[in-house]
Amino acid sequence: MQDTVGEKTKESPEAPVVEEKEIAVRIEPDLEFIRALSMQGGDLFKKCMQCGTCSATCSLSPDSKPFPSKEMAWAAWGMKEKLLRDPDVWLCFHCNDCSTKCPRGARPGDVLSAVRQESVINHSFPRFLGRMVNKPQFIPLLLGIPVLLLGLALFLRDPIGEKLNLSNFTGDRIIFNYSNMFPHWLINGFFLIISMIALIAILIGIKRFWRELRAMSGSNGRAGPAKSLISSALVSLKNILIHKNFDKCTTVHSRYISHMFVFFGFMALSMVTLWVISSGFNPLIKTDFVYPFGFWSPWKVLANLGGLALLGGLALMIRDRFRDNEHTSTGSYFDWTLISTLLIVTITGFITEILHYVRLEPHRHLVYFAHLVFICALILYLPYSKFAHLVYRTVAMIYAEYSGRNVASLRSKEIQYSG
Amino acid sequence: MEEKIGVFICTGYGIGEAIDIEALSKVATEEYSVPYCRTVRSCEKSDLNIIVEDIEKEELSKVLIAGISPRRYEEDVFPGDVIVEKLGLREHVVWSQPPNEEDTQMLAEDYIRMYLTKLQKFEPPEPFQPEETLNKSILVVGGGVTGLTAALEAAKTGYDVRLIDKSEKLGGWLSKQYRSIPSKPPFRDLEDNGIDALIKEVDEHPLIKVYRSAAAARIEGAPGLFDVSLKSTKNGKTEGEPLDTFRVGSIIQATGWKPKEPRENLSYGKIPDVIRNIELEEMVKENGKIVRPSDGKEVKSIAFIQCGGSIDKKHHSYCSSICCLNALKQAMYLREQDDNAKAYIFYEFIRTPGFYEDFYRKAQEEPGIFFTKGEITGVKNENGGKLLVSALNTMPGDNIEVEVDLVVLAAGMIPNSADGEAIRALEDAKITAEKGETDVQRDAAKEKIAKLEEHEGTEILNLGYRQGPDLPTLEYGFPDSHFICFPYESRRTGIYPAGSVRQPMDSLSSKEDAAGAALKAIQCVEMTDRGEAVHPRAGDKSYPDFFMQRCTQCKRCTEECPFGVLNEDEKGTPLLSATRCRRCGVCMGACPERIVSFKDFSVNMIASMIKAVNVPDEFEEKPRILALLCENDAFPALDLAGQHGLQYSPFVRVIPVRCLGSVNSIWISEAISTGFDGIILIGCKYGDDYQCHFCKGSELAFARGDNIREKLEQMQMENQRVELHELQISDYERIPEIFNSFAEMIEEIGMNPFKGM
Repeated sequence: MQDTVGEKTKESPEAPVVEEKEIAVRIEPDLEFIRALSMQGGDLFKKCMQCGTCSATCSLSPDSKPFPSKEMAWAAWGMKEKLLRDPDVWLCFHCNDCSTKCPRGARPGDVLSAVRQESVINHSFPRFLGRMVNKPQFIPLLLGIPVLLLGLALFLRDPIGEKLNLSNFTGDRIIFNYSNMFPHWLINGFFLIISMIALIAILIGIKRFWRELRAMSGSNGRAGPAKSLISSALVSLKNILIHKNFDKCTTVHSRYISHMFVFFGFMALSMVTLWVISSGFNPLIKTDFVYPFGFWSPWKVLANLGGLALLGGLALMIRDRFRDNEHTSTGSYFDWTLISTLLIVTITGFITEILHYVRLEPHRHLVYFAHLVFICALILYLPYSKFAHLVYRTVAMIYAEYSGRNVASLRSKEIQYSG
Repeated sequence: MEEKIGVFICTGYGIGEAIDIEALSKVATEEYSVPYCRTVRSCEKSDLNIIVEDIEKEELSKVLIAGISPRRYEEDVFPGDVIVEKLGLREHVVWSQPPNEEDTQMLAEDYIRMYLTKLQKFEPPEPFQPEETLNKSILVVGGGVTGLTAALEAAKTGYDVRLIDKSEKLGGWLSKQYRSIPSKPPFRDLEDNGIDALIKEVDEHPLIKVYRSAAAARIEGAPGLFDVSLKSTKNGKTEGEPLDTFRVGSIIQATGWKPKEPRENLSYGKIPDVIRNIELEEMVKENGKIVRPSDGKEVKSIAFIQCGGSIDKKHHSYCSSICCLNALKQAMYLREQDDNAKAYIFYEFIRTPGFYEDFYRKAQEEPGIFFTKGEITGVKNENGGKLLVSALNTMPGDNIEVEVDLVVLAAGMIPNSADGEAIRALEDAKITAEKGETDVQRDAAKEKIAKLEEHEGTEILNLGYRQGPDLPTLEYGFPDSHFICFPYESRRTGIYPAGSVRQPMDSLSSKEDAAGAALKAIQCVEMTDRGEAVHPRAGDKSYPDFFMQRCTQCKRCTEECPFGVLNEDEKGTPLLSATRCRRCGVCMGACPERIVSFKDFSVNMIASMIKAVNVPDEFEEKPRILALLCENDAFPALDLAGQHGLQYSPFVRVIPVRCLGSVNSIWISEAISTGFDGIILIGCKYGDDYQCHFCKGSELAFARGDNIREKLEQMQMENQRVELHELQISDYERIPEIFNSFAEMIEEIGMNPFKGM
């Protein structure tokens, strides 16, 4: 019996299978990357045994090369490059359907979240800022920068105002307003500059990301795009607006509601801001607003509703993170910085408004200043924080439509639901 | 005591309502002239006490209770000197047949006839007592962790132990380990191997005598009477110096394992940095660190290739059970040595049998240990002295390669056993090759020699058994026993394999195994001393009796006995070593002269039971089917069928037998001549994954069944009249189908033409 065994083994290395496969890929695990992921709450990924339950249970994963099982293997093997250029990482909405079903407790959902953080940091420009923003020890420095910048703006307010002959007041019936301190030209100008800086940084990040996505699709030998870039973008935006993917989360469906509130609250506030800033030259309005708005002014109402939505949504998000550790993620530093910054912005905004009505001096200016500091931080660090997800995720979703990644995704899930 | 039979018919459980009890009693009292017959209300303790009272009052010597199945009695309350036979009227008649039918009544009456006949033929067994006093000491072969533990466990119980090991040092594989896998909660941290303390304890124990550098030159005899002669060894090989001779009662074979030769194409032996896990272990034990054998540099990365060191089932087809744990452990050595080191573990299955899941988890938590399934396609030398391991179908990719300093192959575990039957077959072939009568015979023998050559000189126990000098083995060389149901058992009574010679296992399981085998060895010497059988008929006091005057030296019994009980003299006459016997009755089934019998189970007894059945003549259109059922699985399955209310043909008459291997073909011809229309034999599953309690009994029965069917054809009868089935106890729902379709088939082919002749 043993003789025949010996003969067979001699033949096996020459089996034709070896030639048919692609050229072997040399793998050199990145221990630093593994340690970084472990630090960010994804420390359980090495428990993965590649059973594929996560991919099967995920309601967002496409049929071919589904996530997150392959990402789990890449993470366990420290395959940094593969993960950073993987659009699927961004197609995950962190429902944690997979984490609750994982038989080994490897929490794939949290692992992908950690990978997304690494993705943001590694694509960011400049990269060192990406690292700093995500380390708690840099909080004083990170808040110091907006304070300094705003201080500088205040310091330069009068010289610039005089030189360019810009008035502090926009209306005359105002007795009591914030433009004493920050005239609108200063606010608009300051945040325009800050936003431009952030925009440039994030554009560089997107460029890096998009280039990697394209490179990967090239190496995979995929055929041309499935859709035009424009229609991909339109489909993606529609899906984002209706929160289509969030709606598929089964484990914690309240995330659909909370993100919807935060999203539309933020949109409402951004819209009011952009509308107001652009009032001077916006062909749709072409009016000079009188500041401050009355309480029942439609803009004010929209802004207040937006703020309330934001506040409610954030409260719901925080509750979910504490409510049930089994099913939800308790969140990483990455996650909590965004939530807390948004929360502080919203709360300081409301306090500012209230103090305005109760006419409390000089507290209101202090709070207002703090409000502006956090808004500044929010915008300035957008490319390096979790806030960047709004860009990377959108890009990845558009790319998924564009490359046909999402084509088969819904068919199989309907079966799952009907079952 | 004068023979006086009493019959007790139970009327409870619906028996009284379904059967005419009076008619049934008449069979006993009138047909069989039984002096005492009465009814009882149930088979519960209160009614059993009535029976006991009656036994005493009426001075009954043999009793038949027709009530519930013998397996369903809650206690045994009967005096030891009274023979009590239990007939399962409830399970085998009332629950499986429609009530108050003519056929049901006939069935019940036939059973009374059969069981009364059995009682008449039944003689009380007398335990086997040899002239010499039986020895109760224990021989342990092998001084590894299993042998040491077994010796110690037996000695602690108060038994004399002799421990032999072929090497100078005790401790086996465990003593070569640098650190051991965890043996206690939380099963995460490596431990000292603890073998030195164990060796010391054994050396110092007053009841244990240790022979180092010694091997068994010859072991003659039987349980309680094993005569051992030792020879000295040098470097593990027998030198031939006689050392000592002594007698023991039972033997524990703890000869452990040896590593399998690695797969050729993985460059083991060609590239110095491709080593086996056992060599890595020795290296760490010696140097305290892992270095490259080629240049002595500290190792920064290792690829572990698991699953027989090849991940190739064609090379090594079963799990060796400890290699995964060793790889985890050795990967931890590497990680302790260097925090940036990487260990890649390639496997087909990662397995941590026992309590080691948390140990596996601990290894998983290490950032530098990487796990994947995969097929290894090659190990190459790369420039700069590194090695390149390539693999297909891995978790991180379809086709990958990793660069490492060292490749470590898992050593597949092969039992350190010898195939006694093959060695005997080789011997026989050698004799035939020399003295064979025809060229064809001699050529066939030479071919056989070539096939069996590898067994030459592999003897370990050197038993003086006709069927070969060592334990019979299974496919991969593990000693033949049912390793799940009956661990430690082998096909040589009183010889118990334990540890990794029995099944691949780690040291913790080996210790447990050693304790188990020690208990078995103790059980054996004690029961043998009382003249009782050991597993599976534990406590049986009967033993086979050979009526030697009629023996024709056909050697069937000596060849077919699954346990090698019978040696032969020069003429081929069987020599019985009764303490080796398991009382299966395979010899009784084998003997064409029917000279083998037990006091309580004989050819005559079963034949008389068959003849006791009232066979209606052919015009009544009531066929009769004889069913011989193995009492280990098939007969209990019949109980279960009744218990589940499964209905089957009323024409079947069932007789339980010790093993299907004990069925003598005379019973078949006896049944045919009595007028039975067909015979069904139901035994256990046979083959490589057999379930036969006597290992070979069922297989032999099926082989004999083919002969019987041939004989039927010679008698101009349809060979379908004899059917054999394999059945396990959980397959009870198949019973009605087996019986009914057989009855239908009999109806189709017609009645037995010999009926009524």
